[in-house]
Amino acid sequence: MTGSRLIAIVCAIFALPVLADEPPREPLQAVVDYHINQRLQSAGIVPAATLEDFAWLRRVTLDLAGRIPSQSEVAHFRSDSSDNKREVAVDRLMNSADYAYHERNFLDNLLQSEYDGDKEWRAWLLRSIREGRSWHEMFRTMMNGNDDNSDEKPALAFLKKRANDIDAMTNDASRLFFGVSVNCAQCHDHPLVDDWKQDHYFGFKSFFARTYVTKAQLLAEKPPVEVKFKTTEGEDKVAKLLFLTGAVVEEPEDKRSDEQKKADDEAIQKQIREDNAPRPPRPSFSPRRKLVDTALSGENSQLFARAMANRVWARFFARGLVHPLDQLHSENPASHPELFEWLAREFRNHNYNMRWLERGLVLSDAYARTSVWESDGEAPAAELFAVGAIRPLAPRQYAMTMLLATTNPEDFNKWQSADAWPAKRRELEDRADSWRREFELPGENFNVAVDEALLFANGDRVMNDFLRDGGDKLVGYLLKIEDADETITRAFAAVLSREPREGERSAFREFMSQREEKRVDGVRDMVWALITSPELRFNH
Amino acid sequence: MFEAKFNKTNDWGIPGIAFAVCRHAESGKLFFGSSDFKVHEFDPSAEKPEPIAFEGDGHQSYVTTVALIGNTLISGGYDGRLIWWNTAERKAVRTQDAHAKWIRNIVVSADGKLLASVADDMTCKLWDAQTGELQQTFSDHVPITEHGYPSMLYAVAISMDGKLLASADKQGYIIVRNIESGETLATLHAPIMYTWDPRARRHSIGGIRSLAFSADGSQIAAGGIGTIGNIDHLGGNARVEVFDWKSAERLHELEDSKYKGLVERLEFHPNGKTLLTAGGDNGGFVTIYDLESKKIAHQEQAPMHVHGHVLDEWKSLYTVGHGKIAAWTIEG
Amino acid sequence: MNQLRNIIAPVGRRRFLGSAAASSAIAANMTVLDLLQNPVMADEVKRQGKRVILLWLAGGASQFETWDPKPGRPTGGPFRPIDTNVSGIQISELLPKMAANMQDTAIIRSLNTKVADHGTGAAILETGRIPEPGVQFPDLGAICARELARADSKVPDYVSMYAATEGRRHGYSGFLGSRYAPIMLTDKMVPRNLTRLEAVSDVDHVQRNDLRRLLAQRFERGRGHSSSVTSHNDAYERVRGIMASEKLFDIEQESQAMRDKYGPTQFGQQALVARRLCEAGVPFVKVARAWWDSHGQNFETHRELCADLDHVMDALLNDLKERGLLEHTLVITLGEFGRTPNINASLGRDHFANAWSCSLSGCGIKGGTVYGKTDEDGHAVVDGEAKAGDLFATIFKALAIDWETEYHLGARPIPITDFGCSPIDAVLA
Repeated sequence: MTGSRLIAIVCAIFALPVLADEPPREPLQAVVDYHINQRLQSAGIVPAATLEDFAWLRRVTLDLAGRIPSQSEVAHFRSDSSDNKREVAVDRLMNSADYAYHERNFLDNLLQSEYDGDKEWRAWLLRSIREGRSWHEMFRTMMNGNDDNSDEKPALAFLKKRANDIDAMTNDASRLFFGVSVNCAQCHDHPLVDDWKQDHYFGFKSFFARTYVTKAQLLAEKPPVEVKFKTTEGEDKVAKLLFLTGAVVEEPEDKRSDEQKKADDEAIQKQIREDNAPRPPRPSFSPRRKLVDTALSGENSQLFARAMANRVWARFFARGLVHPLDQLHSENPASHPELFEWLAREFRNHNYNMRWLERGLVLSDAYARTSVWESDGEAPAAELFAVGAIRPLAPRQYAMTMLLATTNPEDFNKWQSADAWPAKRRELEDRADSWRREFELPGENFNVAVDEALLFANGDRVMNDFLRDGGDKLVGYLLKIEDADETITRAFAAVLSREPREGERSAFREFMSQREEKRVDGVRDMVWALITSPELRFNH
Repeated sequence: MFEAKFNKTNDWGIPGIAFAVCRHAESGKLFFGSSDFKVHEFDPSAEKPEPIAFEGDGHQSYVTTVALIGNTLISGGYDGRLIWWNTAERKAVRTQDAHAKWIRNIVVSADGKLLASVADDMTCKLWDAQTGELQQTFSDHVPITEHGYPSMLYAVAISMDGKLLASADKQGYIIVRNIESGETLATLHAPIMYTWDPRARRHSIGGIRSLAFSADGSQIAAGGIGTIGNIDHLGGNARVEVFDWKSAERLHELEDSKYKGLVERLEFHPNGKTLLTAGGDNGGFVTIYDLESKKIAHQEQAPMHVHGHVLDEWKSLYTVGHGKIAAWTIEG
Repeated sequence: MNQLRNIIAPVGRRRFLGSAAASSAIAANMTVLDLLQNPVMADEVKRQGKRVILLWLAGGASQFETWDPKPGRPTGGPFRPIDTNVSGIQISELLPKMAANMQDTAIIRSLNTKVADHGTGAAILETGRIPEPGVQFPDLGAICARELARADSKVPDYVSMYAATEGRRHGYSGFLGSRYAPIMLTDKMVPRNLTRLEAVSDVDHVQRNDLRRLLAQRFERGRGHSSSVTSHNDAYERVRGIMASEKLFDIEQESQAMRDKYGPTQFGQQALVARRLCEAGVPFVKVARAWWDSHGQNFETHRELCADLDHVMDALLNDLKERGLLEHTLVITLGEFGRTPNINASLGRDHFANAWSCSLSGCGIKGGTVYGKTDEDGHAVVDGEAKAGDLFATIFKALAIDWETEYHLGARPIPITDFGCSPIDAVLA
């Protein structure tokens, strides 16, 4: 048995908590660990060991700041001997300039990945996060924002980009905000799920059916429009305004005269065709406003809270407590029902504060487990969360990581510890942005395309941006170090935040010794091997 | 500047698409070629004018061009045939398998003796208009475009004095020849009208669609379409280029962005300074240019994309096209 | 046979292919012959060596000016039908070379795919079903790559060429994962990043990859629970093989006479590349020819583009046949929809998805057949209506892919053939 293996088991035994009879009431991380550990215990499973300091800091920095930590951050964290050092680190990261960028990218990828490249939308997300707006506030603005309000206008992109396909708008709103993918119910009652009927699909669609965009790119709502559909029995039905929970919204009678209706239709046609048509008035009855009011009121608000709580969970644990994420229904129970209900309820009670949720989750023991399953046999089922999650980096996160891993580490230390970091971070964000299309946005069943491997193997952009031997780059920095062993040690520290292990060190040493005559190439290719390791590609 | 009042006086719906028209001076009857593969007579002075189809063994595709000599009508079509018709009897008198591919246009010399035809077999042929005998074949247009696709030969013109023959193709090349000697006198180029889009859509829909000599034969006008952003549609400016063909100098480049599309028809006023153009995109236009000022002297929206026109001494005008025939008066 | 296959862990298939690959002479290997007693395995062997070339007529070509002429009808346009070398079948005069070469080609004249906007239409004909928000279906190329490629393939599995910018769509492997995503060629004839940079010597290129592999193997220890992680090393391990296929993209390797056969256009050159790729074992190649969207001047557009299509398709089929590849290679000619019967005022035809045509040639196809019928003016299908899913089932069956297979996305079964669809046996050999 190797030494590290021994330590892992010792840690694991040490980590086995003594469970109380009652779940704790707070904090969030204690509640998480109570429920996760309870299920592990009843399954007789000893979870994977807790991460070493450097690895935990790397994981949490990638998750909250969207980048790897600098070496000074790692060193500082290691030398801190206080009990609450992880809390301090999490709070530091959540208050750093990085947090809002990474949180923004998370929400942008979630909501608008198909409509990539809307700068004003992205700026609105960033502003909202920096100003601490809650998730339901953001939702309200996306659904009901005012085109005349320059702050709110960009949020309407969610609806505007989908305005030519109301079915896409319906289903995207349903699955992204409420975790319910209703499109199966478009043609028939859902075959597997009793909760979802055609009435739900068309009822939910009724909230969006009046939405349109004028030629001048203003979001508007028409006066009453009937949504009709044919049931599988062939019956013609007119949909009510029906929320996904079954709550019905009553609508005032349409008292317009036929003449008025005709005039309204003509005005709408004019708005759709002509740049300078009079602006559409706000309707006296807005179904989208009613949707927001209904979705956030009383028991109906469960869906909204559950959907995001589940997504944030999946962000850190690679799968939802309910999985898949858009299948929140009675036939697809949560792996930890009590925990799931608690998280959703408390998320709502905390005013849909994403930071609260995120902070608690990354402070849990469940989050801090190593992703290596060293015990005999196959790893336990993923839904037990017995072993740390392995998650591919998102495009901007990967690009940012790559940029920082290949930067002169002294520069990185300097930027990171100085007041200049926010400006530097913004500059890096722009550079990472220019790389985003080179990498796939991870979805279910992510695997790496050969295109990506070819890019790193032969792309001149990789060579120029990451492997130059200038003084500002890692390669240039390493070339100034004469001792071969030291070069290797520092390269590992810069890219992987760790020491080389035996076997690794000897292989790298041999590689370098064969290249004494062409050291520049040797150092460059050593760095290449490090940055193309899966250890950098995944948060693990 | 040419000053004229220009009014549409009437229009009539017809089935299908009329591609070309000519007019019998004495009777005022019109003859037009159509997408129903037929040639029709149409009397605009009748109380309820109706197209009357010519009978017998006619064309087997769109009839795209017609010319009239006395009471003899000559038509050409996408079936490669030239057909001579007796207009009084509305019957074919001679059929000539004239071209291997689609005949785009024919024109008759002022004296009625010569007939010129152009087709997508990329030949321009001269015929004895009376006997139908082939006199000369010019194969001097390049059949394959520089991008490797089939070219097309759309337009042909004969000068008033019957001495010059010009033809123009899809890539925008205009060749001027001496009819008697067969010698090439000039090759001009209007490359913009080709409209090849090398990047977004990799094809073209332009070409020189119309060609006309000035009365003195010194100038030649070519009509087509300008640069198109989206080549799916006829969304380019209606474009005309006028050359002094002897010096190859481009005298005028005229573009209209109000009424867009192809310039399908061109005709010089005997004064040499006024040019009538007609054509269209989904809609249509008739535009008269004053060449001295390079400005539009008069312009009217046509009730259809105009494929054919016939002028009577610059006093009246008939246009034919998509689903319609229209009558216009010119007072000036 | 309704074989459930878990897409997340295609272990059985991988293992089988590994053993099949180890024995180069499959048919002579007794263990493999034993495997043929097992219908699943027999299917695997049958699929091996099958290829697809998709000639994608982006923007939507007109059925009237290609496979379903309506002579003498008001909707028919100016072009005449011509007889083909198969008695009873006529096609447009714009395709004279194909008219003389119809013995290996089946025409389907009865597609009704309903949606006539480019984006959705293309998505339907790329995936064989109507798109569903929130679910990324793999396209035909990715499905074929997954079903036909060898796991240890040294060549690309799916190459997609789309040179024009209009309507350009990157192929997508959807929930099958990027392993089956296409290598895309856009502005150049050779894929990006196929050539080693001069600054890196060949030895360094190989040896630095050895270092990377060492790190990857160590990282993978105890992390086998993530197939994403193993896919990373798999992708890098395929790099050298794919780089070796660079010459496949170089038509200078072909004689001038062969290049002349395919003609001077880019479409022709890409079709020649497609043949070279298929010959080397690439299971799916798409050559997109854009842009057929003839709202204005439909007849001029088809006069221009059909000549190229006719020449290139004829050259490709002949070349494949001469090389003995046609019986293993399915050539599909398809776009996102057809064009309207109505001829608009710009002499154009607009989008039309209710009654249109495509063709299938070669592998598994009963040549010289016509399936389905439209009415005399081409407004509607009157016989043999086929949806995109029916076409896909037909393609799968022609390739000996079990058209009733299901993939799984989480707990949800997703049949590779859309619900209610089945193969058109009349065009299958």
